[in-house]
Amino acid sequence: MQVFLERLFDGISNGAIYAALALALVMVFRGTGTINFAQGEMALFTTYIAWGLTTKNIPVVLCLLIATIAGFTLGAVTERVLVRPIEKRSLLATLIVLLGLFLALNSLDGILWGNQNHSMPSLFPNGVNSFISVDGARLYWANLGVWLLVALLVGAMFQLFNRTRLGLHMRATASNRESAALAGIPTGRILLLGWGISAAIGAVAGVLFTPLNPDALGLGEMFPLLIYASAAALFGGLDSPGGAVIAGLLIGVAESMLSGYVSAIGGQLQEAIAFVAIVMVLLIRPQGLFGSKEVERV
Amino acid sequence: MTLLEVRDLTAGYGPAEVLHGVSLRVEEAEIVVVLGANGAGKTTTMRAIAGLIGRKGTVNLDGASIIGLSPDKVVAAGVSLVPQGRGTFAKLSVDDNLHVGAAKRRDRQGIKEDLARWYEVFPVLASRRKQMAGTLSGGEQQMLAVARALMSRPRLLLCDEPSLGLAPLIVREVFNVLQRVNTEQQMAMLIVEQNAEIALGIASRAYLLEAGEVVSEGTAESLRESDAVRRAYLGY
Ligand SMILES: Nc1ncnc2c1ncn2[C@@H]1O[C@H](COP(=O)(O)OP(=O)(O)OP(=O)(O)O)[C@@H](O)[C@H]1O
Ligand SMILES: [Mg+2]
Repeated sequence: MQVFLERLFDGISNGAIYAALALALVMVFRGTGTINFAQGEMALFTTYIAWGLTTKNIPVVLCLLIATIAGFTLGAVTERVLVRPIEKRSLLATLIVLLGLFLALNSLDGILWGNQNHSMPSLFPNGVNSFISVDGARLYWANLGVWLLVALLVGAMFQLFNRTRLGLHMRATASNRESAALAGIPTGRILLLGWGISAAIGAVAGVLFTPLNPDALGLGEMFPLLIYASAAALFGGLDSPGGAVIAGLLIGVAESMLSGYVSAIGGQLQEAIAFVAIVMVLLIRPQGLFGSKEVERV
Repeated sequence: MTLLEVRDLTAGYGPAEVLHGVSLRVEEAEIVVVLGANGAGKTTTMRAIAGLIGRKGTVNLDGASIIGLSPDKVVAAGVSLVPQGRGTFAKLSVDDNLHVGAAKRRDRQGIKEDLARWYEVFPVLASRRKQMAGTLSGGEQQMLAVARALMSRPRLLLCDEPSLGLAPLIVREVFNVLQRVNTEQQMAMLIVEQNAEIALGIASRAYLLEAGEVVSEGTAESLRESDAVRRAYLGY
């Protein structure tokens, strides 16, 4: 029971991060109609910024804030400078540009911060004894903190989408860009904002995720995360923010249970399983668990 | 008073020019109809005025040029287009669709009043406020598209083939509503139609468009009498 609970806690923490990144992917997909392959590397870039600042003894909260702002800017600039001029030509061109950005950011990280791995300090108490005991199982404050912050983030996003004028304009732009423009919505500004918010979510996810494991900050950190988040976004149905969040959590827990209880699965094989899951979804239910039928274009 | 003045409007898609210098005008509170065969450039004219495609020439609203404006700025200037095919936000509720129509407005109270007014004018929409717009019938979606455009309180309503794909009875209903709004709100309208009979019935003037050029213009009466329009659009 104890071991099960601890695996569950870990799974939920990872799942919360996948959920946040999947939500970011869905936001971009709904607005622009493409998967942002660079999402993970954007998050890695801003996580490096946050880590760099922590080494200067700046409080982690402040580093998170700065990384979030940097993320927003990076996302907004990407939309304005790279995506907008190219998406008019074709979706494929956009995807390739985003793949290019993926590689460029990763190399830039290497140049700026080197290829050694680092440990990132946590926002929350992170000592060996910073846990509460649940039925004998250890629930670390760091885990609880991740759950809480991601829950707040997701809650805020849902309020934004469903309760505000801006959110309505974002949904309208996602649903039919031309009609949105004809209704008087400045669609360019809305898309820029969507990309900015999406990259800001990624920045928060990166700063939350990295401290969960020692020596986690490295050039290869975000690729598996992107795979899991993409799987979650696909499972959820690409255009369904709620679906992405639920699928993210499910994948996190499934991963933790599988690698914990099935000894043959570990390390690299986990990612292979995520790939298999993606392929299965594409074959069996292209619109995902919660998505609408129209979304089959990727 | 001339509300909309279009002079020598050229526009097209990429290198292909579709409009070769279209000129037309709409007076304050007037209904004007543009007739023309498939591919004549009616939709292109509307899209050019609304700012959706690149265009050259003169487009003035109340004397001020609106030719360089982006679509949302054209709406802010007072011109709203009901696009061909309706452009419904399928996954938004009827209510949300109408709220989107008020995107440029800040007057909460006024928006509320207008919402109530258009629900009264379009009772089919009122009974489906919470329904996803994509599940409405064609006629209902056309009503929704008109109501959505009206939510911006336009001075000029552009309507692209409101009768497309609708049963005759529904077409009648749509045009009745347009006429009613025109009379009650003194709202000017530029309507593109292939159903010449019904459109000329509510219009004061009309233009005939062929291959990107205005080939004939006059009062609705005079166009109804003209042989060209009769043969091509009225069938007698
Ligand atoms: N997106 C586009 N790209 C290229 N050419 C286009 C595009 N849209 C329209 N055209 C061309 O422009 C010309 C005029 O089209 P337009 O849609 O304005 O005609 P229309 O009068 O509205 O016809 P309909 O009655 O069928 O709606 C046609 O020859 C059409 O092929
Ligand atoms: Mg047309």
